[in-house]
Amino acid sequence: MKLVYRIILLLLCALGSLRSYGQHTEPLVSGSFQNLSVEEFARQLQAQTRYRFFFDSTAVQGVKVNLQVQAQPLSRVLQQALAPTTVRYAVDEDHNVFLTSGTALTTTLPGNFFQPGAVADVAATADTLTTIRGGRATSPAKLYEIGRPGAAKGATATVAGHIREAKSGEPVLGASVYITSPSIGASTDQFGYYALTLPVGAHILNIRGIGIKNTQRRIQLHADGKLEVEVEEDITALKEVRVEAEKDKNVAGLQMGVEKLDIKTIRQVPTAFGETDILRVVLTLPGVKSIGEGSTGISVRGGATDQNLILFNDATVYSPSHLFGFFSAFNPDILKTVELYKSAIPARYGGRLSSVLDIATRDGNKKKLAGSGGIGLLTSRLTLEGPIVKDKSSFIIGGRSSYSDWILRRLPDRSLKESAASFYDVSAHISHELDEKNTLYATGYLSRDRFKLASDTAYAYQNRNASLKWRHTFNNTLYGVLTATGSQYGYEVTSEKNPVSASALAFNLAQVGLQADFSYFRNAQHTVDFGASTLRYRLRPGRLTPQGPESLVEPDDLGREQGQESALYVSDRWDVTPRLAVSVGLRYSLYQSLGARDVYEYAPGVARSVYTITDTVHYGAGKTIATYHGPEYRLGLKYALSDRSSLKASYNRTRQYIHQLSNTASLSPTDTWKLSDAYVRPQVGDQFSVGYYRNFRNNTIETSVETYYKFMHDFVDYISGASLLLNHHLETDIINAEGKAYGVEFSVKKSTGKINGWLSYTYSRSLVRANAGTPAEQINGGKYYPSNFDKPHDVTLAGNYRFSRRFSTSLNFNYSTGRPITLPLTTYYLEGATRVFYSDRNAYRVPDYYRVDFAMNIEGGHKAKKLAHSSWTLSVYNLTGRRNPYSVYFKAQNGKINGYQLSIFGQPIPSVTYNFKF
Amino acid sequence: MIRFNSRLRNYLAGALVLLLGSCVDKFEPEVLDTPQNYLVVDGFINLSGPTTIRLSRTKNEADAPVPVEAAATVTVLDDAGAAYPLPEQQPGTYQSAPLNLSSDHRYRLRIRTASGKEYESDLVAARQTPPIDKVSWELNNRGVQIYVSTHDEANATRYYRWRYEETWLFHSAYQSGVEYVDGTMQQRQEGIYYCWGSENSTAIQLGSTSRLSQDVLTDAPLRLLESNSLKLGIKYSILVKQYALTAEEFAYWEKLKKNTESLGGLFDPQPTQLTGNVHNLADTAEPVIGYVGAATVTEKRLFIDRTELGSILRFKTGYEDCGNPDTVLLADVPAYFSRPNLLPIEGVYVARTLIGYTGNPAVCVDCRLRGTTVKPDFWP
Repeated sequence: MKLVYRIILLLLCALGSLRSYGQHTEPLVSGSFQNLSVEEFARQLQAQTRYRFFFDSTAVQGVKVNLQVQAQPLSRVLQQALAPTTVRYAVDEDHNVFLTSGTALTTTLPGNFFQPGAVADVAATADTLTTIRGGRATSPAKLYEIGRPGAAKGATATVAGHIREAKSGEPVLGASVYITSPSIGASTDQFGYYALTLPVGAHILNIRGIGIKNTQRRIQLHADGKLEVEVEEDITALKEVRVEAEKDKNVAGLQMGVEKLDIKTIRQVPTAFGETDILRVVLTLPGVKSIGEGSTGISVRGGATDQNLILFNDATVYSPSHLFGFFSAFNPDILKTVELYKSAIPARYGGRLSSVLDIATRDGNKKKLAGSGGIGLLTSRLTLEGPIVKDKSSFIIGGRSSYSDWILRRLPDRSLKESAASFYDVSAHISHELDEKNTLYATGYLSRDRFKLASDTAYAYQNRNASLKWRHTFNNTLYGVLTATGSQYGYEVTSEKNPVSASALAFNLAQVGLQADFSYFRNAQHTVDFGASTLRYRLRPGRLTPQGPESLVEPDDLGREQGQESALYVSDRWDVTPRLAVSVGLRYSLYQSLGARDVYEYAPGVARSVYTITDTVHYGAGKTIATYHGPEYRLGLKYALSDRSSLKASYNRTRQYIHQLSNTASLSPTDTWKLSDAYVRPQVGDQFSVGYYRNFRNNTIETSVETYYKFMHDFVDYISGASLLLNHHLETDIINAEGKAYGVEFSVKKSTGKINGWLSYTYSRSLVRANAGTPAEQINGGKYYPSNFDKPHDVTLAGNYRFSRRFSTSLNFNYSTGRPITLPLTTYYLEGATRVFYSDRNAYRVPDYYRVDFAMNIEGGHKAKKLAHSSWTLSVYNLTGRRNPYSVYFKAQNGKINGYQLSIFGQPIPSVTYNFKF
Repeated sequence: MIRFNSRLRNYLAGALVLLLGSCVDKFEPEVLDTPQNYLVVDGFINLSGPTTIRLSRTKNEADAPVPVEAAATVTVLDDAGAAYPLPEQQPGTYQSAPLNLSSDHRYRLRIRTASGKEYESDLVAARQTPPIDKVSWELNNRGVQIYVSTHDEANATRYYRWRYEETWLFHSAYQSGVEYVDGTMQQRQEGIYYCWGSENSTAIQLGSTSRLSQDVLTDAPLRLLESNSLKLGIKYSILVKQYALTAEEFAYWEKLKKNTESLGGLFDPQPTQLTGNVHNLADTAEPVIGYVGAATVTEKRLFIDRTELGSILRFKTGYEDCGNPDTVLLADVPAYFSRPNLLPIEGVYVARTLIGYTGNPAVCVDCRLRGTTVKPDFWP
């Protein structure tokens, strides 16, 4: 009898590939199954569903099923009924259900059919019983032994290792590794590392993740040990796969206020020039607002644009855009994931008030040389990757360049013809596995922009970043990462037309940092992260130098500023009960403003101005000018109300010691940065946030409501008519204002099916108050007024419709309240012209913003072994041609005041991009 | 620095308009019914000559005339207590006798309005304005650019403001030799073909040498005329007046310029509230518009003759819309030319017999509608 079933099984397997459950419309099952044997249970289900059941009756002997269900899908019924038992099931396309005993599988017959590859292995190879020690776990059919038998110190042991893609050797981030009985799981970190503490014995590790095929590995856990897993890439990365991987993260994850995007999601969102733009996609997320069309300056939950920490493989990027913000400065081909933390910022991160945008690159293909690229209307890009030492080390290098220079030279307008505008960026990343316990990663990044406007003013800016990481695994439960980073941002503006006033203005900001981060998986309940970091800022805020012998420009130098920011942190993620998890973190940061510098002293009690300077104090090199320090609390809590819904709450405090100075309506590249000093205090922010999360329809629809309240102390604001360029006494033009922001974000996300995407609505306010000092220093009489980032209503829809695996369309919709503006209230006649008397600051608003974009993606064939994969992206930005005001301005022309609104994308902008991959 | 940044902005905006199909639309927010009615003080204390102060009010309707502040008592005071009255010349305009004030004192303006409110400007230091070295021009591809150069050997002035008065000779579309007076056609007594037009500067022109090692301004751009401007058609003259400013006054004018001349462009600063140096003595919170400084004035005049612009062949005339003259037969002359808006040009003869006159609307014939026939004193 046993043999017959076995033969039937093998034959069936060889005949057709089996699909994992859940991808079909399944029959619904209702009924009460009380204390039934598996045979009886199967018989009843077969009657209801017409699915055929196969099982080995001896294997399921004695197993009883208890379940009461009402109109549930078959797979769910099976899952619920069999979860408490040792019996496992698989369903194939031909409506066959296979029941097998989990324990019997491990020694006699591979009996689980969750995954097609498993079946193929079983059918094709005879060594299904092979047990393997060490090496890379590539096969779901094989049994991997962990640890020496009998070496376990207790009833549990820890298995740890990396999950990598088999083809490229790239680590898989955020993949779930779990066993179902008992329910224990973990997800891989940024290195693809996981650690699971399980009862000693046989287990099936289920592995699910973004862009990989769902699979599992069978292990026999004897004692602590390693399991390096290689998994197959899902070539087209269907939405289903990705979503299923994290399908209950919305509800089950502890982290709130975090948005994670993988590059495949990013690529689907239409953009202005057909160029995949991560910042533009981040702007579609709830709580994130643009400060102006065509600008990548972002405001997160009412915070200022400088309050976002943008990390590129852990190195800070100061100017994340090209061409005044029309393109993001990151090559999409080398990116892996982008994570945005809006609240509950992990203790590991610090230094900015509002958010952390963590951008990670791929490691590169460890198996073979590969490349990808794209050709667009304004830019082209190329990326190469491959192994240096196979399976040990790999590189990835990507470059991107514009050819707008070429276009400008062909324009009829003379001043534009004499203009130049170009940019490029290059990123390179190398990872090298020294041995099993040590890995090195190195990243370099360079972006450069250059403009020359009407042969008069030449303008250039660049970002340079580098990071070096050494990751050391001490043992299965503890690993550490030592990271050294360097970032530099600078610009130079030169004007050479008039020899008398020919000059060059330069700005430079450099930072070097060192940090050590450790993760300790104490047990299944506790994961402890701790570490320390220190960061040195070197700032050259402005240097004006004459150009040429005739220039009368007097050299001016604002000198150098230096600061040291150091921090210690520890955080513990504690799963108190299966329902309740908390994360408690504390970061303590210390900042010192350092010499050498001359500091002005001002008469006490009066507004600081050049007229009230009383003394100048010189601080020697390395002398401390001012010290600020304080704790930063990071608390998070999750309570699962049910399998499908949870409540989360968080509180975090953040401190920021470096400030961007900009009093223009838009972000301008001539905006400078300022370190905290004796007068400019650090910004401190407190955010309270509560959210409710609920998933529907088998976790395919995620909904959430998050609400927050935020206080910002010593928010940087400016007096009226502040002068920020080459100002030796910036403290006279800056005021330390108070900010507050609050809001509620509703979000619905559907991740599977032909129609998928997300819809969010945000109501939020962001207010500022400058009520300190003399009336002249106050703004709007010291009352709260809307900040530049106050846009109360915001609706975003990012939707995709997939016609087939090769053809899909996406539609973006965005509506938001117009940004605040200061309006002219009345006019007067002075000095020969009619002039304007302005309202209180930001008392009115520009017209509402509304935009629809549309894109089509056409992919080439999906044959896995094809030489090169290609795709076309056709997109139309601003489909309805709405003239959204980029800016509103007023001009006195011939004695008359005229108001104008400039729309940058005043009509639909079509574009086409060709992408390839080999 | 400020200047070239704003130029960068303009070019960038231009580039965007061309590259991206951007567009600039009128933005006309609903007229804000605000009852604001603030005093506006326009003028400065002239140390060597008559001081003229104009008082007006803010106005809320675009087309209404500027409401003047009439019947006020205006006085210049120095820090020693001396007072110089400014009697009202015409409603809202107050002017002193020519004064010769010492630059050792500090000065302020006192205003008492008809409604009894008292205003005073802050005491300001008197500034001696250095002479203008040169007013020059060049024809470049953007037009005729006029420059001003000055210097102060003492390196004390540093901040400059300029105003200018332009005067130009032009002629109407048709030269009229006859006039219709009291029912008879007669030889025209006074020519109405050539006139002098004039205009004062409306833009705030500032210059500063505060970042230069010497107080020398060379070829600071002052005025840009289109190369075919009608002002250049025959002969053009510009009188440049130079004022020395204090740093604070300079900051005020700079802010005023920023607020009203280039605002909210791509990277322009946000509008700002302006505070001048005039205050209501009873209520310091009341906004008063204007900054009253004290300085001497220096000036220099430049002429540009059409012959110097050899390469420019055609100039605008301002009379492009004028049609060809009508021929009015003698019988129709009384009916036609008794209308004051139609003027005769010359007689029409057929075989030496006068049969009528040509005529054209007065706006095309009488240049006095756009200028004056009185030759200015300075005109060569």
